[in-house]
Amino acid sequence: MEDIHIKGVHEAYFMPTVNFEVATGNCEISGESYLEETTKFYAPLLNWIRDYIDTVRGPLKFDIKLSYFNTSSSKCLVDILDMLKTYQKKGGQVTVNWYYEDSDEELEEVEDFILETGLQINKIPME
Amino acid sequence: MEKKDGKYDFSLYEYHNLLHQNILVSYKGPIDERVMTVIGENIEILTNDGNDKAKSKIFKIFMELAQNVWLYSAESCKTVSGKKLGMGTLVIGEFGDSYTFVTGNVVKNNDIEPVIEKCEIINSLDRDSLREYRREQRRLANTGKKNSGNIGLIQVALTAESPLDIELTPVSDEESFFSIAVKIKKTSAKS
Repeated sequence: MEDIHIKGVHEAYFMPTVNFEVATGNCEISGESYLEETTKFYAPLLNWIRDYIDTVRGPLKFDIKLSYFNTSSSKCLVDILDMLKTYQKKGGQVTVNWYYEDSDEELEEVEDFILETGLQINKIPME
Repeated sequence: MEKKDGKYDFSLYEYHNLLHQNILVSYKGPIDERVMTVIGENIEILTNDGNDKAKSKIFKIFMELAQNVWLYSAESCKTVSGKKLGMGTLVIGEFGDSYTFVTGNVVKNNDIEPVIEKCEIINSLDRDSLREYRREQRRLANTGKKNSGNIGLIQVALTAESPLDIELTPVSDEESFFSIAVKIKKTSAKS
């Protein structure tokens, strides 16, 4: 299995930067997420996580630093968090850090992701 | 815009004046990603009176509501490559200490009922219940249940911190013009 490296693009659509590393289990999704075909973009990321959980079985650290994501992207983010929660329940080591800017609304949204998925998420202010 | 004595009965000057007062951006026509990019950038430039939070709120609301017009308008056109583009109207106005963002488009009367019901539910909920509703609807959408996909309107109400002001005006037996207006304070009450 291979790393995923996608460089973010801000054009008519906004593609987030993605870095998933097999050797360390360190994963980052940052920038902005508004895509023409949201599920098509996130499917390989979900497959990567599934493969990592099935074959590598190592720790997973997720750093999410999204300054903007639309509601379609939020559904895919929940899919990722669900997968991490399932892994954690089976004994996998999972850390999720969610970096937020300075709005209450963003914090509320992260809290809702926690309630929605049952996963512990560390809320960290963005510098 | 009927012709009278070979002239159009339409004053661009009056139209301009009507829009000139308090209106920052106004657009009518097909909506696609190019139009969204341009209007998105204009919003950024023209909402300088508001703080950064208000700007990002308008942007988020614009993205969800404009997308709905694009995807769900009953009035549409096709690009050369065959892509369907919904047509509609977007207006962003500035009134004192707030911005108002309005989108409108033609809808089939049969299709709009569930949307209106959804807006009424949204408007009846307090913030905590609205957040719960978003979680529940997103969960339903992720399990593939029908008619539960669109959490955009819930998001709009949460972002705006104000109700969805909806209006339905019949245009024929089958169709109506549906508009949603939301108010965004230039400075958020919670900040």
